[in-house]
Amino acid sequence: MKPTDILAYAFSAIKLRKLRAALTTLGVVIGIAAIVALLSITQGLQVAIASQLQKGFATDTLIVTAGRADSGFSLLVDDTRIISQIENVTTALAIIQRVGYVKNADGQARRVTIVGVDFKAYKEVYSSTFIAEGGTEIPSNPENTAVVVGKRVSDPWGNGTIFCKAGDTVEILWTNTTARPLRNETYTGNVVAVLQEVGGFSIGGPSDTSIYISIMQAQSFFGTDKCEMIIVKLKSNDKTTIESTAKAIRSLFGGQVTVTSATAVLNTISSVFSTIELFLAGIAAISLLVAGIGIMNIMIVSLMERTREIGILKALGMKNHTVLLIFLTEAAFIGLMGALIGVGTGWALAELVVRIFSANGGVGFGVRQGGQAALAGGIAITPVLTPTVLLGAIAFGLLVSVVFALYPAWRASRLKPVEALRYE
Amino acid sequence: MAVVETINLRKVYMLGKVPVEALRGVNLKVEEGEFLSVLGPSGSGKSTLLNLIGALDKPTDGKVFVDGVDVSTLNENELASLRRKIGFVFQFFNLIPRFTALENVELPMAIASVGKGERRRRAAELLETVGLADRMNHKPTELSGGEQQRVAIARALTNNPRFLLMDEPTGNIDSKNAMEIMRLVKRLNEEKGVTIIMVTHDQRLAKETRRTVHMLDGLIVDETVNKP
Repeated sequence: MKPTDILAYAFSAIKLRKLRAALTTLGVVIGIAAIVALLSITQGLQVAIASQLQKGFATDTLIVTAGRADSGFSLLVDDTRIISQIENVTTALAIIQRVGYVKNADGQARRVTIVGVDFKAYKEVYSSTFIAEGGTEIPSNPENTAVVVGKRVSDPWGNGTIFCKAGDTVEILWTNTTARPLRNETYTGNVVAVLQEVGGFSIGGPSDTSIYISIMQAQSFFGTDKCEMIIVKLKSNDKTTIESTAKAIRSLFGGQVTVTSATAVLNTISSVFSTIELFLAGIAAISLLVAGIGIMNIMIVSLMERTREIGILKALGMKNHTVLLIFLTEAAFIGLMGALIGVGTGWALAELVVRIFSANGGVGFGVRQGGQAALAGGIAITPVLTPTVLLGAIAFGLLVSVVFALYPAWRASRLKPVEALRYE
Repeated sequence: MAVVETINLRKVYMLGKVPVEALRGVNLKVEEGEFLSVLGPSGSGKSTLLNLIGALDKPTDGKVFVDGVDVSTLNENELASLRRKIGFVFQFFNLIPRFTALENVELPMAIASVGKGERRRRAAELLETVGLADRMNHKPTELSGGEQQRVAIARALTNNPRFLLMDEPTGNIDSKNAMEIMRLVKRLNEEKGVTIIMVTHDQRLAKETRRTVHMLDGLIVDETVNKP
């Protein structure tokens, strides 16, 4: 029998039981749609986060922090000098940060992270995120009173209701926890620049909810020579440079420090996502297996209903493998239809879910940053449907359908003509 | 050479746990161009004989030769090919309900990989031969019993079979239409020289054929030549 005739014959059998075929197809649609929706949302999330991280991380940096809290060891601002002398290090900059308040001219206060950095070096390391909005500029040699504020400090609600802007005078407040009794320290600063929106989060890099003051000012204001972290910029971001420099820094401080590579963090995050993806795909695959069992079920019912028909076909000279092919073609057709509709439905579902979440102010991705949740400026996700997922889903739907039809099709092909013809 | 020959053909069925001897050593020879009827009461083994000759079933013992080929030596695929050279006509027509008369007649040719155009042309021609030129696009449910059997006969003729096997072809048709079917079958035999083996329990129908073998309890017990 010619392939086109096999196809036509299989199709005529499906057409005869439209509702049943439609319901079976629906099973496949749900399975495939679940896989596609889950995978495209996770992949979209991964892309969004990875791009945020790459922006906020700078892959050629190392972050040095004090190791154990109970060891009594602290990093000093001056440690940047010795770190700078290590091979492959271009810049090392210290970061001092405290949670505090900033008060505007109207007397309103906002809780912020006050970050002390060397503006010039910080601009160099985070050249894509430590950038001022149009009209303002981050000075390389700032006055002691100079303050750079993050986008969400300037415009906290993202609706143009400005808390403070470049040129404003603000009061900066910090509760000195080392003094007894506790004492509120304040000074008056001038907002010289507002950062462009960074979005998302980062480690060490600029954030929308922080304010930035010069490292010298921070040292005197907070009354300390200690710093929370040192950011090290390397000559290159290849693995050996990252590893050898990290090792050199660790040995310089006798193992008292933790050296984190942005690249390593990115890799960890991406491997975590792969696991999540696999897990979700696994759950979705189960629903497809259920659909497969549905296919097997209707194929067996169909086989019983059509026993006599199979007897006729065999009496007319149809070969066993042709009978097998007809049944497999029927299943493949249902699988293919289900997979195609499923991919479309899954994609639409992903778009819908993302839109519903976006309408509620971005996908909730509250990352705690310096003791404060970065609520504003959540990450915008665009579902990603890679060709691999697209073709994989279609192939998987087809495969499951055909595999589950194998047994009924095989049984149909093995029917004895004389018995099949006698079947009522 | 005989078109069909059976030698000491035996068939034992298991009816539950009880073995039933349907055929107990049947020797039969059918020559080219013959119109043979197998007459016997129900349970005499005549349908079993037909199934074995048609390669739809395998004998317990003995041999069936079709065109000199021992059917027992053929594998499943070869049996399927052999069946394409045999035209089956069943008591209950066995048409595919979702296909029109034309499509039903086309089916054996589709199975034999005949091209669409050729198939359609020949199916139409055969339906005309059996007198159904104006009913081609009707489905079996829209046709009378007699008409359905004509479609089945047209279908049996499509691949130019070596012989037709008819199992009670008029058993499910009223007597007026039954006579017309018999006239059609006789005409096919006389005018086109088609070899026909017909199983029936109806003596009047058997008399219409040229030779009758009588079966009883799984054996051929008598043979008569009918005068036209």
